[in-house]
Amino acid sequence: MTLAEQSFADQLEKGAAGVEWRPTGEPSFVCALRAAGRDTFLRTKLPTLKHEDWRYTSLAGLAAQHFGPAARALVPAADLPPAPRLVFVNGRFAPGATDLSGLPTGVRMGSLALALRERPAAVEPFMGQVATARDHAFGALNTGLFEDGALVELEDGVPCAVTLHLVFLTTASGALFAAHPRNLVVVGKGARATLVESYRGAGAYLVNAVTEMALGEGAQVEHDRVQEDGQQAFHLGLLQVSQGARSRFTGQSIALGGQLARVEARVLLGAEGAACDLHGLYVGGGKQVLDHLVYIDHASPRCVSREVFKGVLDGASRGVFAGRVHVREGAQKTDASQVNSNLLLSEDATVDTKPQLEILNDDVKCSHGGTVGQIREDQLFYLRSRGVSEALARAMLTWAFASDMVQRVGPEELRVRVRRAVTGRLANGELLREVA
Amino acid sequence: MLSIQGLKASVAERDILHGLDLEVRAGEVHAIMGPNGSGKSTLAGVLAGRETYAVTAGKVTFEGEDLLALTPEKRAVRGVFLAFQYPVEIPGVGNMYFLRTAFNALRRARGEEELDAMDFLALARERMKLVKMDPSFANRSVNEGFSGGEKKRNEILQMAVLEPKLAILDEVDSGLDIDALRVVADGVNALRSPERAMIVVTHYQRLLDYIRPDHVHVMANGRIVTSGGPELALELEKRGYGWIEKEPPARPAAVEARP
Repeated sequence: MTLAEQSFADQLEKGAAGVEWRPTGEPSFVCALRAAGRDTFLRTKLPTLKHEDWRYTSLAGLAAQHFGPAARALVPAADLPPAPRLVFVNGRFAPGATDLSGLPTGVRMGSLALALRERPAAVEPFMGQVATARDHAFGALNTGLFEDGALVELEDGVPCAVTLHLVFLTTASGALFAAHPRNLVVVGKGARATLVESYRGAGAYLVNAVTEMALGEGAQVEHDRVQEDGQQAFHLGLLQVSQGARSRFTGQSIALGGQLARVEARVLLGAEGAACDLHGLYVGGGKQVLDHLVYIDHASPRCVSREVFKGVLDGASRGVFAGRVHVREGAQKTDASQVNSNLLLSEDATVDTKPQLEILNDDVKCSHGGTVGQIREDQLFYLRSRGVSEALARAMLTWAFASDMVQRVGPEELRVRVRRAVTGRLANGELLREVA
Repeated sequence: MLSIQGLKASVAERDILHGLDLEVRAGEVHAIMGPNGSGKSTLAGVLAGRETYAVTAGKVTFEGEDLLALTPEKRAVRGVFLAFQYPVEIPGVGNMYFLRTAFNALRRARGEEELDAMDFLALARERMKLVKMDPSFANRSVNEGFSGGEKKRNEILQMAVLEPKLAILDEVDSGLDIDALRVVADGVNALRSPERAMIVVTHYQRLLDYIRPDHVHVMANGRIVTSGGPELALELEKRGYGWIEKEPPARPAAVEARP
């Protein structure tokens, strides 16, 4: 066993024994889920490069670490998004920083751990039912070890106009620790919502987050996931979405932080006419590894999936994109497309991009495409010939490549923040003051 | 203003310019004509600082300064402007943002005050009228989805905004119908001034019906083989380029061409 496996196993065993962090009085279904998670993790262990889903991203750096339970911490003075917002610090609910004012009728937002104590029946039908990826080591680890996270519920037909913010702050000082936020979002039939998950932090730590989202029939959700963890952090995120008939899910994943960051989006188009539109942008520098795995399960007829992911890689950073589209036998009239484009800004930056289409049905429209390119010399010369410095011209062209992904971010204040964060990471990005 | 002496240049190890001489003074409009492959566009690219061309011999001075030692952006700051034969599409960079960035980069480098977005927009709107450009083009990405004529108009708009001392127009007429050609030529003519020189590179005499040059030079095989006044263009129109290549006149001295 690696150090990380050993330390996670120790925590899992302690959890099973009900010591230390283990919340008391958990309902029996949660105990069963935790036990199953523990067994799965102990059996699967940390994935290696031999694992199909981890072929391009080595966890050796993570496996060499020893993780303690998350430290207690005060809410750092971060610029928090507007209310309504739920704030978690090191995986624990932070009521002081949370502000639920302006939450419309028919929308509930709060601590999942609290809901498990007070009204478990609301959680039981969904928890662990959406995140069903089999033998998923990190999903299992999260289930075994989560302390808290967000529970968001929208009643049927509620058109929630305000943006709901979930903020996960991590502050590390001293011993390395792991936080395992666990979120559940239940969107009723015909309800509409915009939900933002923000991950921010400083220092060295592991965030291993799982978000389960169930969309009822005709529900419409925009989900923005913005990862700005510390440059030494490990970030693992699993977003699992289950869509009802004719529901619409729009997802943006912005990946900026972490020495190793992996986001998995797994979408089940489980009923007729559901559609998902997923976008992503990863901006890497230094020795960062930024990895996305998108799995779309076309399990019903007449569903539509769209994927556009872009990467900007500088320094010796690595980008990984694996897009898997699975069209099941009964999923007639499936319409799926996938594009992954990458801009390499240095000789040492690399990207691995892998489309995977598994189509068990001949009445489908599926396409995939992608590019790996560099700044175009003719564009660079054009700008320079007009008096734009080479540094600014490069920054402008890099931003031009990435900006449409940023424009996809719906809420205005978040879009401004993301724009600043992205331009802030580009070489000479400070020259882009007019766009930022 | 511009002095080119014995200029030789190559691209990908292939020699294109074989010793070219040219003198251009402020206020003059020089037309450079010649068959395909004679090196006209290479000359334009070399003057603007395109790195795909390697200068192997010769000297180019612009207002007494060694132009070849400057980066493309420094040349622009000094007042050199190239209107591209094939303007580049830059998706994601807004036309107005691009223009303002270029305008302010020049102002900054010259120690002048930059214009804010509002003031610049007023200036750009006024200049857009010069090339009859639809204001909606301001909001689009640079040249993206523009027709051939719109791209050329956008080049002249940039010239009108950046107000160069030396404008090099590389086949600004290519791909234009007669109406678009007239608009572009009117724009260019409006920008003629005693302080500004222009080098108009073209394959066809047609353009010179609209932009009257002071001097006409004919290029063949990488050098200027004959020079004269506007009447030279008419003769080329009648006789084609064949006679130049077959019986090159005794090496004409472009330096003799004076107004």
